[in-house]
Amino acid sequence: MTCREAGPLLHARLDNELDMAGSANIDLHLAECRACAAQYAALESLRKEIVAADLGYAPGAALEGKIAAQFSEERRSPFRFWSWNWLSAPVMAAALAVAVLVVAIPILRKGNGADAVGAGIVDNHLRALQPMHQVDVLSTDQHTVKPWFQGKINFSPPVPDLTKEDFVLLGGRLEVIHQQPAAAIVYRRRQHIVSLYVSPSQGADLKPELRDFGGYHLLHWLQNNMGYWAVSDVDPSDLRTFGDLVRSN
Amino acid sequence: MDTKVRSFELTMWPHMRAAYNLARWLVRNDQDAEDIVQDSFLKAYKAQESFRGSDSRVWMLSIVRNTALDFLRRHKSRSVVSLEDQVHEPADHTPDPERELLESTRREQVREAISHLEPEFREVIVLREMEGLSYKEIASVLSIPMGTVMSRLSRARSLLLVELGGAKGVSA
Repeated sequence: MTCREAGPLLHARLDNELDMAGSANIDLHLAECRACAAQYAALESLRKEIVAADLGYAPGAALEGKIAAQFSEERRSPFRFWSWNWLSAPVMAAALAVAVLVVAIPILRKGNGADAVGAGIVDNHLRALQPMHQVDVLSTDQHTVKPWFQGKINFSPPVPDLTKEDFVLLGGRLEVIHQQPAAAIVYRRRQHIVSLYVSPSQGADLKPELRDFGGYHLLHWLQNNMGYWAVSDVDPSDLRTFGDLVRSN
Repeated sequence: MDTKVRSFELTMWPHMRAAYNLARWLVRNDQDAEDIVQDSFLKAYKAQESFRGSDSRVWMLSIVRNTALDFLRRHKSRSVVSLEDQVHEPADHTPDPERELLESTRREQVREAISHLEPEFREVIVLREMEGLSYKEIASVLSIPMGTVMSRLSRARSLLLVELGGAKGVSA
């Protein structure tokens, strides 16, 4: 290998872009050629310096809020972007699947018609799983999500930070449950979305009760005159863990 | 149909920091970089079905890059001015003030050297050294062949070595 050939390959070697044979070739040349070896050492120390300088710029906290607000606005006027582009096959298939599910689930649980509220909540969760409908305030920061509800509802829903327990906060949105304004707080556990609905509800405290709605689980409890409904397709034991975490927070 | 249908936001949100970093390095101004990222997220949102099946980070970064280059073309005279009023981040706190001064000076030298590169060289350094993208990923972001990525990196690093005096540090 000549130095001329080696020149650009020094970079590929530095960037781990060569296969084993290519690396071996250039290493052979570096062992023989002092000029190229010196050049390679200089490149290595340049790389080290750039990394050590840690020159990445981080966006200000306000940017996240601005983009989240922009998305909320877009969501409110979906027809602006309702073009034929949108009606691509995968989108249509997904929409159809949701439609089938939303229609089928109430039919499937007809025999179990005692709990209209629970059914409504599962439906709501399902609708929310469609892209762009999950949250009105998009933030992984509980201190952003919690104040967002202020002035929109007359109670203060708990927005616990459960990141350590692998429930990542995604945001919140407003809902109506049983003709009552409700806060929906959305978490993600791996690939699964967990929606927590909170709404004032008079009555004695009620321990968490788990019910099944066509593959989705609903955990309901009452605590301090607040009703809680956690719904997801995560493992029921995970949903119970989630309920315990919220209750103890 | 299950919860695997991940929303656009869930996919794109994690790329905001990388998007901002690239935009910030290209336009060299905080406010303009924010506008470009905001604009890019909106563009991505409107065209979201076109990224299905491809790498969302590469896709987002290529939108940011094109938006930033458009911006630079439109504000050619302004980008020269913004060179002067760059906002410098405060240096990290180190107990030894003398060392801190030396290090922050060197850090600024490295920053300036990269900042003074032409955009086509600056962007490959940012994508490779700060974002850790592979040649293949950089090639996709910039829509250029992988060989060109390598030659641009080679040229960019040679320029930096000259500018920084062989990257020997300030020990002299």
